[in-house]
Amino acid sequence: MTNLDAYRISSEPFYRPVESEIALFEAAHKSRMPVMLKGPTGCGKTRFVEHMAWRLGKPLITVSCHEDMTASDLVGRYLLDTDGTVWHDGPLTLAVREGAICYLDEIVEARQDTTVVIHSLTDDRRILPLEKKNEVVRAHPDFQVVISYNPGYQSVLKDLKESTKQRFGAIAFGYPSPDIEAEIVAREAGIDRRTAEVLVRIAERSRNLKGQGLEEGASTRMLINAGLLVAAGIAIEAACQVAMVVPITDDPDLRDALTGAIAACL
Amino acid sequence: MNASDGFPPEWRERWHVAHGRIDQAGYGDLVADAYRRAGPALAAEVGPAFAIRLAATISNVAIRSGRLAASLVPQAARTASRHFDEAALNSWAAAVEDVARRAPEAVLALLENTGRLAQALALPDFIAFVRMGLHLGDKDAGRRRAFFALESGEAIRLVEGRGADGGLAGLRHGLGLYLNALWGLAPPIAEAPPDAPDQMRRRPGFGGGGVRLPAAFAGFEDGEAKLLYRAAVAHIGAHHRFTREKFPATGLKPLQIALVSLIEDARVERLAARTMPGLAALWRRFHVARPEGPPIAIALMARLSRALADPDYADPHGWVEKGRALFAEAVRENIGDQQLSRRVGGLLGNDIGQMRLQFDARAYVVQPAYRDDNMGIWDFGPDDSQAPVEIEAMLEGARIEQQAGDDGRREEGEDGDTASGRLAEAQDEDGLLVARYPEYDHVTGRYRPEWCRVREMPGGIGAPRVASALGEARSDIVERLSTLIKASRISRQQRVRGQTEGEFLDMDASIAAMIARRAGEVPDTRVYGRYERRSRDMSVLVLIDASRSTTERVRGSQGSVLEMERLSTALLARAMTDVGDPFAIAAFCSNGREDVRYVRVKDFDRPFDRFAMARLAGLAGDYSTRLGAVIRHAGRDLRRQRSYRRLLLVVTDGEPSDIDVDDRRYLVEDARMAVHELGREGIDTFCVALDCDADSYAQRIFGPRGATVIDTIDRLDRLLPAVYLRLRS
Repeated sequence: MTNLDAYRISSEPFYRPVESEIALFEAAHKSRMPVMLKGPTGCGKTRFVEHMAWRLGKPLITVSCHEDMTASDLVGRYLLDTDGTVWHDGPLTLAVREGAICYLDEIVEARQDTTVVIHSLTDDRRILPLEKKNEVVRAHPDFQVVISYNPGYQSVLKDLKESTKQRFGAIAFGYPSPDIEAEIVAREAGIDRRTAEVLVRIAERSRNLKGQGLEEGASTRMLINAGLLVAAGIAIEAACQVAMVVPITDDPDLRDALTGAIAACL
Repeated sequence: MNASDGFPPEWRERWHVAHGRIDQAGYGDLVADAYRRAGPALAAEVGPAFAIRLAATISNVAIRSGRLAASLVPQAARTASRHFDEAALNSWAAAVEDVARRAPEAVLALLENTGRLAQALALPDFIAFVRMGLHLGDKDAGRRRAFFALESGEAIRLVEGRGADGGLAGLRHGLGLYLNALWGLAPPIAEAPPDAPDQMRRRPGFGGGGVRLPAAFAGFEDGEAKLLYRAAVAHIGAHHRFTREKFPATGLKPLQIALVSLIEDARVERLAARTMPGLAALWRRFHVARPEGPPIAIALMARLSRALADPDYADPHGWVEKGRALFAEAVRENIGDQQLSRRVGGLLGNDIGQMRLQFDARAYVVQPAYRDDNMGIWDFGPDDSQAPVEIEAMLEGARIEQQAGDDGRREEGEDGDTASGRLAEAQDEDGLLVARYPEYDHVTGRYRPEWCRVREMPGGIGAPRVASALGEARSDIVERLSTLIKASRISRQQRVRGQTEGEFLDMDASIAAMIARRAGEVPDTRVYGRYERRSRDMSVLVLIDASRSTTERVRGSQGSVLEMERLSTALLARAMTDVGDPFAIAAFCSNGREDVRYVRVKDFDRPFDRFAMARLAGLAGDYSTRLGAVIRHAGRDLRRQRSYRRLLLVVTDGEPSDIDVDDRRYLVEDARMAVHELGREGIDTFCVALDCDADSYAQRIFGPRGATVIDTIDRLDRLLPAVYLRLRS
């Protein structure tokens, strides 16, 4: 039997609840309902899952989805050794057998025909047929699927099938309110509250430009990065450039406007 | 002076012929002398060919615009030659002839302004200027003359808007972003019209949903000018956020209005600086009033402004200090209370009165320069003759200017001949007979040869307001679309598996093959994979139904079908323009088989410019829907496109029908046949049908996968681009 200890989270990942998402997730977990976490990039979806896995004491298996991912990358495949073929479980199968939370990050990046393998796991059947191995794996009672989904710009070209979407309960994430966000940034970056508040105000400015040339405004993650630079002794203006302006746009007018907005907040 | 000087010997004979012809044409001595004098100089400065070619222009102008104008041509050519090279001069001459042909009365004015125009405008901009003049004053000779005489606002703006660095033109986009970033506002930013009152041209303003900024701030260097503009929009944003309601102006004197505005300015800035302290520093740098000079009202007010904005500023004057104290106290009490401005401003106004200081409202300009004229925060009551109307007019003007600028840019890099060729081409817009097409009779199973006559109609020009709205609406959607189209075009590398050769082993296929081999089966040898970049270009022709029924309002939605068609097409077109996909737009309707009308809104090789938008805006719904003939006609255009994929995208709101057809199936079957014809030539068709019961015919005509039916028109603006994307990928 494979040991899932490596997937257990030993110390509490910091998570600052914004609304009732913890209670919602716990309730969903009771019935092992599949959960979809929706929200813009860098707003804390992954951190939330880690926190919940720790809180519930369940191992967490994370798969970052990408375009080239095939069903066998999830489910497993035969490999060859000297004696013949050997079946190797994929991460999904592992989670199903051993009872882990399987977290499929950015699931829309995977092709639609790949994502259908979770269908039989996300309704009342809770089974995973391994076609090539001719085996049906019944899900461990602790097994739960969590996916993350960024409803942003990609949604016209890449979207989940309706039949996939309808299997999930969804929790919407946004950027936390300025107060909470400042608290998070101050704590994660180890900077004082006042600096964190300034960073949050700058982020609001950049979020105003969403759709005006920016795909998304500065995320909480970016703020923490900026805060970490400040904590390392970089001036706040330079830190914002490095962490919050240059990464998100190459348009000179936008950079200029953002730089101006940063100056306005200092 | 020898009349042949400046001409090389081999050209002298031709020069004699050329000026001899002018001499004897009966235009009078004035013209003949002018040409004879200028000819050799032009030959030396520009080239003998141009000097001789100019005779044709002189003739043209003399015949149409009179001798006086013709006598100015040679000198104007010399003036122009200081800025234009020979090729450009040829285009210049062609443009002058064009104006002579279409606006004879305006030539004189145009020639008189040659120096100013040639100095301010590069050739493409000059051509754009002429085109715009001819277009604007299409039916109004007076307006046309005023334009070319540089007396109308549009013309001045066109000429002055170029070249000046640090002016609004180059900063507008960035300022919009800045304003949006700071305050989350995205109002249109317009330039103050050159013919507006002085105060309005020198100071920013807002109202009517827009922001108005001076074309340039005099006396500020590049970098400083940018900061000043930023200060201006940041200040206007602060008003938007914190001046909750307009102050009623009734019963107040100009001085009181000015003082209340001054206090309100300080109040909103104080509030803004609470969240954005950097703004206070930005504003402060423009407060330059000093505590010296005579205590006149206007100077004291500038000093008070500074005292309120700059805590380090000390002023010996009692009134200024009183103002500062009053404001500080009121702010401590409740800064959120807008009435404090009214109260403090009123008190300070009384003091000015008691000091017997004069206040000249006419000469008063708000200080410092970044502050708006405060028209936007006052309510002048119902007889308000001021702000809103002016702002609308301004926005209108600004848009036209912007688009004209675009035209000019697009024509850069083309040679002058094409530019002037287009100039001439734009004018002949008569409806003309273009083609006859057969129609398919489903009863007999045969084509009726040459049955329909398709005429290409010029199409109406829509109101500039509507057109510019089409050019600006929903920028967010357009932005997103461009990104998406780009993403789908420069497609990422794809991994192709199961190939007989390739750059890597396909693991799954390899294992399967190995298993097959061990099992004693014949293994599949396609065990390789490779990366492929699949980039496909696609040409699209969007065909819009403009029949009578499209003008009807649809149940539960805001506008007519046609309005929505226009908007959606404009959005799609703007996105495709951004990306550079070739596309065309046409509209159609029919009035019997002899009168099928086809309006070219935009051709493949033309830009989606203000003309195209104006034509799009000018579409009017009339008559019926004879679909087959127009599909064939549109197919003819698409056939010439050399793209990997060619797509005809039809947007229609109803079953094909026409007044001379009773059999409901007849036109449906004919259209179906037309679609097949295109399909045989590798042209794809897709239909978006706006109809509840469109299922029946749309799928019959275009096939089950070739049509989508939507029942609410409101979704079209999102759906049309989505359809395009899906077809693309």
